[in-house]
Amino acid sequence: MRRLLALFGLCLLPGGCARAPLSYLDATSPIGGAIASLGWGLTGISVGVCIIVGLLLVVAIVRRRAAADTAIGPVNDRLALRWIGAGVGVSTVVLLGAAIWTLVTVHSIGEPPRNAPLTIDVVGQEWWWSVKYRAADPAREFETADQLVIPVNVPVKIELTSRDVIHSFWVPKLGGKMDMIPSRTNVTWLEADKIGDYRGQCSEFCGLQHANMAFNVRVLSQADFDVWWTRQLQPAAGSPDTDAGLNTFMVRCAACHTIRGTPAGGILGPDLSHFGSRESIAADLMPNTPENLANWIDNTQTIKPGVKMPELHMLASEVSDVTSYLENLK
Amino acid sequence: MSPARVSILGLVLVVVAAGATGWVLSIGKQPENRVAVAYPEGLAAVVPLGISAGHAPPLAVPPDNPLASDPNSVEEGKKLYGQMNCAGCHGYDAKGGMGPDLTDTEWRYGGTPIDIYKSIYEGRPQGMPAWGNTLPPNTIWLLVSYIQSLGGTFAAAAPDEGDASPAAAQGQGARAGQRQ
Amino acid sequence: MNRAYLAALIFTAASPALAQSTNEANPAKSYSGATADFAGAGAPGEWTSQARDYANTRFSPLTQLTTDNVNRLRLAWTFSDGTQYGHEGAPLVVGDTMYVVSPFPNTAYALDLTKPGPTIKWQFDPNPSPQAIGKACCDAVIRGWAYADGKLIYNLLDDHTVAVDAATGKQVWRTAMDKVSHGVTMTQSAFAADGKVFVGNSGGEMGVNGWLAALDVGTGKELWRAHAVGPDSDVKIGPDFHPYYPWMQGKDLGVKTWPAGAWNTGAGASWGFVSYDEKTKTIFYGTSNPGPRVPVQRPGDNLWTSAMFARDPDTGLAKWAYQFTPHDQWDYDGVNEAVLLDMPIDGKMRQTLVHFDRNTYAYTIDRNTGEVLVAKNFAYQNWSTGFDMKSGRPIVDPQREPKPGVKIDKVCPPDIGQKDWEPPAFSPATGLLYVGVFNICMGLTDHEVSYIAGTPYDGMEMQRYSADGKDGNWGGLIAWDPAHGKKIWEIPEKFMVMSGVISTAGNLIFYGTTDGWFRAVDAWTGKVLWSQKLGSGIIGQPITYMGPDNRQYVAVAAGVGGAAMVQKGRDGFLPRGNTIYVFSLDGEGIKATGDSLPAPVISSDSGQ
Repeated sequence: MRRLLALFGLCLLPGGCARAPLSYLDATSPIGGAIASLGWGLTGISVGVCIIVGLLLVVAIVRRRAAADTAIGPVNDRLALRWIGAGVGVSTVVLLGAAIWTLVTVHSIGEPPRNAPLTIDVVGQEWWWSVKYRAADPAREFETADQLVIPVNVPVKIELTSRDVIHSFWVPKLGGKMDMIPSRTNVTWLEADKIGDYRGQCSEFCGLQHANMAFNVRVLSQADFDVWWTRQLQPAAGSPDTDAGLNTFMVRCAACHTIRGTPAGGILGPDLSHFGSRESIAADLMPNTPENLANWIDNTQTIKPGVKMPELHMLASEVSDVTSYLENLK
Repeated sequence: MSPARVSILGLVLVVVAAGATGWVLSIGKQPENRVAVAYPEGLAAVVPLGISAGHAPPLAVPPDNPLASDPNSVEEGKKLYGQMNCAGCHGYDAKGGMGPDLTDTEWRYGGTPIDIYKSIYEGRPQGMPAWGNTLPPNTIWLLVSYIQSLGGTFAAAAPDEGDASPAAAQGQGARAGQRQ
Repeated sequence: MNRAYLAALIFTAASPALAQSTNEANPAKSYSGATADFAGAGAPGEWTSQARDYANTRFSPLTQLTTDNVNRLRLAWTFSDGTQYGHEGAPLVVGDTMYVVSPFPNTAYALDLTKPGPTIKWQFDPNPSPQAIGKACCDAVIRGWAYADGKLIYNLLDDHTVAVDAATGKQVWRTAMDKVSHGVTMTQSAFAADGKVFVGNSGGEMGVNGWLAALDVGTGKELWRAHAVGPDSDVKIGPDFHPYYPWMQGKDLGVKTWPAGAWNTGAGASWGFVSYDEKTKTIFYGTSNPGPRVPVQRPGDNLWTSAMFARDPDTGLAKWAYQFTPHDQWDYDGVNEAVLLDMPIDGKMRQTLVHFDRNTYAYTIDRNTGEVLVAKNFAYQNWSTGFDMKSGRPIVDPQREPKPGVKIDKVCPPDIGQKDWEPPAFSPATGLLYVGVFNICMGLTDHEVSYIAGTPYDGMEMQRYSADGKDGNWGGLIAWDPAHGKKIWEIPEKFMVMSGVISTAGNLIFYGTTDGWFRAVDAWTGKVLWSQKLGSGIIGQPITYMGPDNRQYVAVAAGVGGAAMVQKGRDGFLPRGNTIYVFSLDGEGIKATGDSLPAPVISSDSGQ
């Protein structure tokens, strides 16, 4: 029993939770921070109330009535009434205060600041994320998948929709949840305080692989972010006539996947431009290494059963050509 | 513990065990995308000379659409029809355009399920692309299911029907080179 | 009332009408004051290029047929080429020979006009690849062919340009221009001028990279190729490029007005007619819609699609460009022809080109600078609420902008415009242009699409119907004053008018409807003087020529296909055909002479 309590207490410590990537109690964002503060505050108030009431209950149980006082009848006890009055008064003030605090917090995080300098469209589909970077200059717009890269300390507006069923966009450490509903655009926003990698997760049950629909958010300094953006705009080098890997990719993969700079323009599956620089494969299912990629291409349905990507039973040479081609797309 | 409590506990245990067994069984089942249908090699080319020129040798088992009993296959096939740009050539209503009408009973290269499968898999001389290297068999059968739902296809020939089968009669019925 | 007073009243009321009828009966005053340079035309009795001359007037100086005798026009002879696709090209007549090229498989025929028609002198079978048939968006057609330097030069559907010796029918050269596997075909009418032949590709619906190239007429060697998308080096934009309007001024706009890399599949194919100003040494031609047809996948102005280029024919370098429909959202190609005319605008003589765009604006543009002088609707449209002359851009109605998955019930015109590639004719007497037009709208739903090489990069789901409601008039012929931007009269037709138009010095206008009616019309009044129903819908270009027997003939192909097939389900729509009809007064022509007719041989055992 004591060990259980100790574990519970440990869990509440931010330190213990920092190692958990989906912990929203340890936020590194003004949005997350506001939510977390509210959470802690309400928890504190609730715990406080429990302690006070508990103490009063214990006192009331322990403190007996005088032995001689056995009369049963209406008692005109002003003291008791004062206790009740005080209790109601304090509760009202505290609850009202908590309500106002909640509403103020929700309002403050609900909308992005008016001039969010960066807008990203995220489209959810079973079971991956299509991410499109918008810009005033159309030549700077591009698409990527299963990852978000944003600059630190900059509010980023995210426009959300879905291509099939309802998904939900949630990066616990950076912002709140927002549903992605087909035929509708919802707006949310993120802002990160610290450079690093954060995990995002689909948080609306969307089918067989809902649990494996995650993504990575990488927060970079503004300078690194600009470099990354410029890099993403570069087209891939090489042509199907000279590059065996690209040639195999064109035959086997291009009907569903796009790589900018090549004739591959499929939009059914994730955009694979600059795939070599991505953190993970298959919506943050496993780290992006050549072995994992080859395994993914060969055993797609075993690793993530039900995904739309079929197993083509390619030759080992084809798999290795495509894998090395993709890993070289930095 | 009282008998009532024992029986409740027993019931709970039975339910949990049943659920666990079901879960274990379901993850062992192969997901749909893995339906393996061997492409019947050797069906395509052999045309015997002589009196029965034009008729391919009858197969032991007529290759019908293995997804015929799957109620979702038509809907999935329709989505693929748009996603793989079939609609661009054959029309969003499948009534033709750059490519032929898929709702009528005229089939240049045959209108049984396996004929349509082969046309998609192999491509055809007047510009139909060959999808066999890009789409797995199950995906092509989904497209065939959708095309069958349009009403212009013929049933797979049974082995003993021979000349009387509608598939064989197509050769006489389809007007060669006829444009709509 | 006093009788004199009454007479005066009647006379005053009637005098305007009298004055008008005087003008019509004594046609002296041109409506627009426009004139044309007929350079590039052959002898008056010939028809040596699709448009008859470099300015694309399609005007014949022949006067044997007049408004008085045209009702005696009868069929003289026919020629069928046995193919089954739409017949869009005009036969050429050079000397005593008629040159005809069929749609796929693009067989060329030389017909001897000195003998009873048709008599084939030679036939050339180029054997193009049938794979191209499935890549041609709008039927396996050929829109015309060229004659230059003793050679018949034309494009094959499978991306070759071929030159055939006009005397012998043997191939002189064949140049490969592009790849069918990339979804590229060639249906364009090769245009010959200045020792070169100008050819362009098709594939606006296939996500191709559009271009126009110049080949040497003698050898077929490629001299230059100008793309419609990509960096300035590809588009051949150099320091002498001076577009009139600011949104076309800048570097590498063929890349910058597209999302990263999207220009590679941006289309801008050049499948229309080319015009040539010999005096300023400039060629004019248009580019197709951008790819994909679904605009949400390509934000930006999408230069240089849906535009017109003026280029130097020797180097290919661009002199100016004008984009008719920036960020086109409805497949309004800019490929329609430019008719080069000089005319007074606001009292000042201007050297212009007149262009009837797919977007339903009729433009009169200064052909030396690219400045838009007139932009007026020549038919009904609802995608644009007006044209801003100051910026040179049309004003788009936001309600007609498609979003994927959302159906817009009525967008007018549909993708094929209220005028497609069918070329108009100019009459120097009336100063008017005679244009075959449509009167249709579409229901439109866009779908986002993948680019898969060799398949359509399209995404437009459409239903087309008449703007007049159920089974109304789908088209007509209009007479247009290009100096004032006004329609003078219109002949409504039940079916689309998708044929070329020709005008003659006999004040006759010839055109055909897509349900087979071939008509002769008075150029001044629009009165239909003669009609004949042919065996199939007409989408070809008529010609008129002088035969070796000094008779004026009128010829047109009747073989419906192409975009006219949107009317396939209508009552009265005819099946496909492949026949050229040649008409003359009373159907007279070259008859079989005595010794060419067979004589019966009496059998020996007949007892005589």
